[in-house]
Amino acid sequence: MNGKSPLLPEQNGAKSAYVLAGVTVLFLLLAAALYNGLWGQPPVKPQIPPVDPVFLETTPWRQTYADLVKAKQDLSDYDCYACHDRNKPPPLRFDDQQRIVVPSEHSNIVMGHGSHDRNNLCFNCHNENNLETLQIRNGSVVKFDNIPPLCGSCHGPTYRDWEAGAHGRTSGFWNHQLGDSVRLSCANCHNPHSPRIPTRQPAPGPHSLHEDAPPHQVKSETTP
Amino acid sequence: MPLPEQLPTTNGDHGMTRRSFLRSTAAFTGLTALAASLSPLRELADYTSVEQFMQKYYKEMTPDEMARVLQRIEGEVQRQYGIRPHVRDYKPMDGVEFVYCLNLTRCIGCRKCVHACVAENNQSRNPEIQYIRVLKLPHGSLDIEKAEHNYDAKQVPEPGFFYMPVQCQQCKNPPCVKVCPVNATWQESDGITVIDYDWCIGCRYCEAACPYWARRFNFTKPEIPKDRLNPNMSYLGNRPRKQGVMEKCHFCLQRTRAGKYPACLEVCPVGARKFGNILDPDSEVSYILRTKRVFIQLKEEMGTSPRFFYYFDK
Repeated sequence: MNGKSPLLPEQNGAKSAYVLAGVTVLFLLLAAALYNGLWGQPPVKPQIPPVDPVFLETTPWRQTYADLVKAKQDLSDYDCYACHDRNKPPPLRFDDQQRIVVPSEHSNIVMGHGSHDRNNLCFNCHNENNLETLQIRNGSVVKFDNIPPLCGSCHGPTYRDWEAGAHGRTSGFWNHQLGDSVRLSCANCHNPHSPRIPTRQPAPGPHSLHEDAPPHQVKSETTP
Repeated sequence: MPLPEQLPTTNGDHGMTRRSFLRSTAAFTGLTALAASLSPLRELADYTSVEQFMQKYYKEMTPDEMARVLQRIEGEVQRQYGIRPHVRDYKPMDGVEFVYCLNLTRCIGCRKCVHACVAENNQSRNPEIQYIRVLKLPHGSLDIEKAEHNYDAKQVPEPGFFYMPVQCQQCKNPPCVKVCPVNATWQESDGITVIDYDWCIGCRYCEAACPYWARRFNFTKPEIPKDRLNPNMSYLGNRPRKQGVMEKCHFCLQRTRAGKYPACLEVCPVGARKFGNILDPDSEVSYILRTKRVFIQLKEEMGTSPRFFYYFDK
């Protein structure tokens, strides 16, 4: 169109109608954006998976003979004379480094009791004359459902602490007038053949608000 | 050349001048912007009711008023989570002063206590609020500067390190209580320093005053999955918090004031945590403080006199 020629009123009206319609749509979009808060929305939070309920478990990780009896579970592991002969103590075998050779029938047992695994003589605790019981070195016989006196015969201070409630897990009531406190037995936490508590996977640590934050490392002074 | 201004601006077909159109659209946009800026008020009902706004100070409430407040909280929780909780106001017991002992020789750093605490006390899951921070420290020092709490090991304990969980130390001389400008936090007769979440103004002075980094602030509305809500609640303890208030460990007062052990103690797989009444000479903590030899009161030099004792026993 020639710029010098005057616009006709009809042409002007049609053009301004388009402009007005465009501006109206623009304003409506702006209003909708303002209403829905496109600006000023909080940043999207990173997803944090809920913690595995395994980490909330309060049950002990081992079951003792007494627990098995109470729960009426399979006690065949404690039926020694199904295989062994009565009146005939089983022989012990050692390798050339004086380590006990665990027979293949008991291959589930991993020996690791005492510093350098030196408490490796089965009959330090098992009773060779009656395999269904245990024995203390002073000659007294202990049943499988009450082992703390046997453990305490060597671990005196720990036994004393356990009796006072200071060693080992407790649950229930601190106030004994309102309810009972439940105390566990040695074998609920310690495997008698290898009493050191095994390492485990830790529960997830705190999630940082800033995902790109570099992990802070500490070094041990005793290990390289 | 005719200028555009000289052209007729009135168009009989539309019946509107350009100026009036612009004026009305500008006014419309302005009103929408105003509505948008006021839209947070739509959520106001979620966190402040008139009853709550008019609520009295905790220590001034009569039992009747307290009962009404507990009912209001039960209603609010039910509206929000669809679960009818059991909210109580647990009072301290006579002749009881709580003490916590933690055996650093035993702790393996598994962080189970952290998550048991979160589950028991209805803490926000996202963003995470955790009362217990497990520090990993190299053997041979107790220098907090060398501690790390973001450790991500495959297996714990790692050789050469020990672990020290830190939570509210329930000080006998609590700096957080001194700085609170509105007395929304105070120490009760059993030694637990509590917070009235309805009285807290969120100034975070207590967070700054605490030398143990034990206080947590709700920067956003706490997010708790409905299926993980603990319905056994207490007014000063684990009822769900709102945005803008402080919270911290209160020795699980909804459990301990009913005679039970705290949640972090029951979940500890190695029995490193011991809790009880120090005024009872036969309690476990009395025995430990009597017979064990090395105790650490964290940042003892601050003069806060914590009721939380770390010890070694071998």
